[in-house]
Amino acid sequence: MSAVGVLAKPLRQPSILPGFGLTLGFTTFFLSAIVLLPLAALVLMAAKLSWSEFFDVILDPRAIGSYRLSFGASLLAATINAVFGFVIAWTLVRYEFPGKRIIDALIDMPFALPTAVSGIALTTVFAQNGWVGQYLEPLGIKVAYTWIGVTVALTLIGMPFMVRTVQPALEEVQKDLEDAAETLGAGRFHIFRRIILPTVLPALLTGFALAFARGVGEYGSVIFISGNLPMKTEITPLLIVIKLEEFDYRGAAALGVVMLAISFVMLLAINLLQAWGRRRHTRSGR
Amino acid sequence: MSITLDQVTKRYQGVPVVNDVSVEIGEGEFFVLLGPSGSGKSTLLRAIAGLTGVNHGRIALHGRDVTHMSARDRGVGLVFQNYALFRHMTVADNIEFALRVRRMKRADRVARRKELLRLVALEGMDERLPAQLSGGQQQRVAVARALAHKPEVLLLDEPFGALDAKIREELRRTIRQVQRELGISTVLVTHDQEEAFAMADRIGVMNLGRLLEMGRPDELYTRPATRFVATFLGAANLLLGRQTKNGIHFGAPQAHLLNGSGRSHEVVAVLRPEEVELAPNRHTLGASYLAAGKVEEIVFTGALERLRVRLTKGSEEVQLARADSGDDAHLEVTRTQPEQRAFAVKVGQDVAVGIRRVHVLPTPLSSFTACAANETEVETLSKHPLLVELATRMKTRVTARVEPVLANGSKDCSSLDKHFSGAAVISSQPDSLKSIECLLTRGAEEVFVLPPNAASPQRVLIHWADEAARAATLAVSASLLRHVSAEAVYVDIKPETTPEADRPQGMRALLDARSEAQAVHGLEMRTELRFGDVTGELLRRLSESTDQLLILGVSQISGLAERFGSLLAAASRSPLLVVYREAEGQS
Repeated sequence: MSAVGVLAKPLRQPSILPGFGLTLGFTTFFLSAIVLLPLAALVLMAAKLSWSEFFDVILDPRAIGSYRLSFGASLLAATINAVFGFVIAWTLVRYEFPGKRIIDALIDMPFALPTAVSGIALTTVFAQNGWVGQYLEPLGIKVAYTWIGVTVALTLIGMPFMVRTVQPALEEVQKDLEDAAETLGAGRFHIFRRIILPTVLPALLTGFALAFARGVGEYGSVIFISGNLPMKTEITPLLIVIKLEEFDYRGAAALGVVMLAISFVMLLAINLLQAWGRRRHTRSGR
Repeated sequence: MSITLDQVTKRYQGVPVVNDVSVEIGEGEFFVLLGPSGSGKSTLLRAIAGLTGVNHGRIALHGRDVTHMSARDRGVGLVFQNYALFRHMTVADNIEFALRVRRMKRADRVARRKELLRLVALEGMDERLPAQLSGGQQQRVAVARALAHKPEVLLLDEPFGALDAKIREELRRTIRQVQRELGISTVLVTHDQEEAFAMADRIGVMNLGRLLEMGRPDELYTRPATRFVATFLGAANLLLGRQTKNGIHFGAPQAHLLNGSGRSHEVVAVLRPEEVELAPNRHTLGASYLAAGKVEEIVFTGALERLRVRLTKGSEEVQLARADSGDDAHLEVTRTQPEQRAFAVKVGQDVAVGIRRVHVLPTPLSSFTACAANETEVETLSKHPLLVELATRMKTRVTARVEPVLANGSKDCSSLDKHFSGAAVISSQPDSLKSIECLLTRGAEEVFVLPPNAASPQRVLIHWADEAARAATLAVSASLLRHVSAEAVYVDIKPETTPEADRPQGMRALLDARSEAQAVHGLEMRTELRFGDVTGELLRRLSESTDQLLILGVSQISGLAERFGSLLAAASRSPLLVVYREAEGQS
């Protein structure tokens, strides 16, 4: 932020929004009120359990099965999105074709749709007698009521995050850069690998993190398509809801704390990876 | 020849953006492609680089045909206006990019990099990122990167566009120095004529996709062949004058000149602002007197003083090719410090205007005279979109003239005024043939027949009825085609009865015509040889689409009706330009 003053520089540079002190104060208050406070309450609630009770809840085989599904399917879905979201963003940025605006608008649909509706829609399509399901069934592929269905739902939910973060980054890769690389003798793969990918990688990682985070927290769409078989297709958020329905608030809080911890670690890892990638680029350029 | 372009054409959605460009660039030559934006110069450069395919023509680098070769295999170095550096790589990695692609050994890479950085005066900047460099330094890196793989040619696409004046100057010098040191053939694209003058061994001026003229900077400046080059390279006043046996006359036609034996014809003359002399009165002028004027504006620009002088007394006689602002004729004048000291002028002062030197353009189309039978028709005709478009592009004027003779019925041509300025223009009517004959017999050399709704042509068909009309037809065609973005097709038609053995001869004549057009007028045209009835074949060609214009050259007026009657009657959908020059030996 630099403002070039024509007149003598005032002591405090004027800005559109009120001063730094006020905004920082508001930011801190806001974050505390809606993020930190509830999280603290969650931890406090869980803390009412003794250590052994706590471990009993979180290491219950059913709970562990649900972690595996929740985090595994989210990671898988985010990975799928990294590939196909990139392709979609590429298509939208690089090509002009009829109906482009409609497709562009459709990308945001999962944002707007109540997740339960997505879940019901997906179940209809992928159920054994559904439009797509009936053709997959003879091939021995069951989508609805298996972990595949969960992944499909999470992919759908996470897709707009990926596309919308990669799109602006791709727009930054000017055609000139590719042209320059081409005249210097680079082939298509080389151009993609050395020029395009490094430029969009930070955005790709951000998109991945967002899609992953959204997947872990997803509830509405998954519960319809997963079938909710304990140990097999039961996600952690559902397990928490079940505990709540049994008025086991402490157990629910304990599971919540575990989710919180794992999500935090994973997002932190992605952020560190990003920072490391940036440093690497600035230092050696490869 | 290190770069050879042969009839290169590139179309976007049917519209030619590069139109039949042929050029040969020599070993170690610094060639500048100069033109306004949208003239096709950058597209042409991209075509040479292989980043854009061509629809027609051939591109060769050092004798190797690369027309269908991809950019990565052509081995050219390309520098972009916005540098196009890889921002996530250091200077070293940017420069070594091409070497890495070629799997060069590390030690060799480093050596080459050091050498290039020395060449562009950026030693020690190896580990910087592009973002840490100034614009000028970034462009130096881009130049070094483009030279890394020892390309056969260096292509520069407006490389100084994003830099400020001082840095630009410095970088120009560096690039020119590097280019000389390496002896590498270079093509630079720019819209800045000063830059072109400063750097070029040879300049090629492009407009509307066509390469209009090529030559050394000084040649192009002092002896341009086209209005566009005359006005684009430096400032120019365009004057209309009459060329007679006794020299050029500026001013209204004088009776005695018209009665003289030979035809006098209208010419376009280029008067450079620095060739104008101002003096207190006619007798103190050192140069030949042109007119009286009043100083309207003086702008001090340092070394030079720039003036606008309105021609007062005698301005109705001196005809400027285009009086663009209002009706007043203005001359642009520049004067050096010594001139200013010798005769200081103030705004509003009356002065005598003299001209030291003019250059007459060899263009046969000087201006247009719209002719019709009454006021309203003349008015409509001189506002015809195609005519207005042509006149604007040619920076010339359309004179309106009422000729009752042209009305239907009365066909006594002798009452027609014998004096014509430039090409006569009439609107297409059932009896246009009569009018054409009429105008030609009374001294018009070109008659342009315009259908009411004719649009800018995409293709210009050229045909001459006999060899005597060939030179003039080519000259007029070239003059017209410089101002429209259409492709030129010369159609030769031989009788169906031509024996098989003689047919190759027709082909040879065709190629001769093509090379003449290219050599004399710099006009690139496609050629077609057809066998059959002349009128029938031309009609068939014209009926293919409506956006065609036909240029028909004749050297005899008698027999026009018999030979082309049906063509002239039927061709009312397409514009037609009849070029007439008396055959030698006739009187």
